[in-house]
Amino acid sequence: MRGILSDKYSGLNGSNGREDYAERWEAQLRKGCLEMAVLAVLSEGESYGLEIIRALESHSNLVLSEGTVYPILNRLREDGLVDSSWVESTGHPRKYYSLTRKGRERATRMAESWMEFAAGLSALIEPLVPATKGRSGRK
Amino acid sequence: MTTNNPLESYIVRFRCVLAGMTLAEQEDIVAEIRAHIDERVSVSGMSIEETLARLGSPEDLAREYSRGALVRRAGNGFSPWLILRAAFAWAMTGIHGAGAFVTALFGYALAFAFMLCCLLKMVFPDETGLWIDPDFNFGFRPGDLPQSHEVLGSWFQPIAFGIGLLLFTLTTMLMRTLLHRFKQWRTSAFRDSEAPRVVLRTVPGLARRAAQHAAQRLGAEFPKRPNGIRNASPAEPRTDR
Repeated sequence: MRGILSDKYSGLNGSNGREDYAERWEAQLRKGCLEMAVLAVLSEGESYGLEIIRALESHSNLVLSEGTVYPILNRLREDGLVDSSWVESTGHPRKYYSLTRKGRERATRMAESWMEFAAGLSALIEPLVPATKGRSGRK
Repeated sequence: MTTNNPLESYIVRFRCVLAGMTLAEQEDIVAEIRAHIDERVSVSGMSIEETLARLGSPEDLAREYSRGALVRRAGNGFSPWLILRAAFAWAMTGIHGAGAFVTALFGYALAFAFMLCCLLKMVFPDETGLWIDPDFNFGFRPGDLPQSHEVLGSWFQPIAFGIGLLLFTLTTMLMRTLLHRFKQWRTSAFRDSEAPRVVLRTVPGLARRAAQHAAQRLGAEFPKRPNGIRNASPAEPRTDR
């Protein structure tokens, strides 16, 4: 049992030795953006872990390993950016998160600097991408 | 039953690595992960193996939680043990962490050495002290007393204790600052490049001078802690008065 599971994990984490540099960079990038993405999802209203994950999956391919979302939520709560409360609904207990005022401000600021950052950078790297297809491999 | 059930064995492995937080916090985290798995399986109809695989390895997941918790608690508290543990966890992530860990270790060892001198003065009043005549010596010298007169006399204990306390406080404050910075740049998205600058800006003054002094005075032969006691003198100037 254990063997099967850990095989799957290592496949997902992409840690089979010789991963190419671009792929690792992409993983770092995803991880770095995840916090902003979670705040963005929560800015549309309160939500719980799995729902946040689904929202992220439908908008982007940010979530590589679903587990990473939970420690981020925990940290956001410790930093006072989100509030949380348990809600018992239809037999499934769920821990709902909502943005605090500080969290909303942070989300806005992050979004602004991201837009600025991305606009400049996109113009710079556009020539690198062949016109027909995007380079980044979707998983 | 627990070992055969993939869910329970996942939770057990997860709990094992979850550290640095209160039991209530742990329970809350486990409950949330459990709720995630339950709902994935019963509502989305995903298999338990698939659900667990998508969560990632229990050890990795727990480590994500623990590292943050440890750093936060250490950064807000004054316990040297917690600070050292957090610095060690940080050291595992790269060279800056390793630097911080060595700094903490060195600072505390130095503080401990001065405190030890203070205690040794009680047991060996004649062989512990400060001699400055032929060359500068601070600490415990069994059977190797210089010709000159010991300088501090009954002042030795308060001064050694004071310096020890000062070093202890300085190390703790420095590490708290570093851990807070670490938390900040770990949390924010594209700040990794700032890490070296933060460490370089904060550590060197104390660390470099301490290291130089230690290197200069490393001729001491002390029975138990060869390079701890006598070479301890980054904050020395005040003993001259």
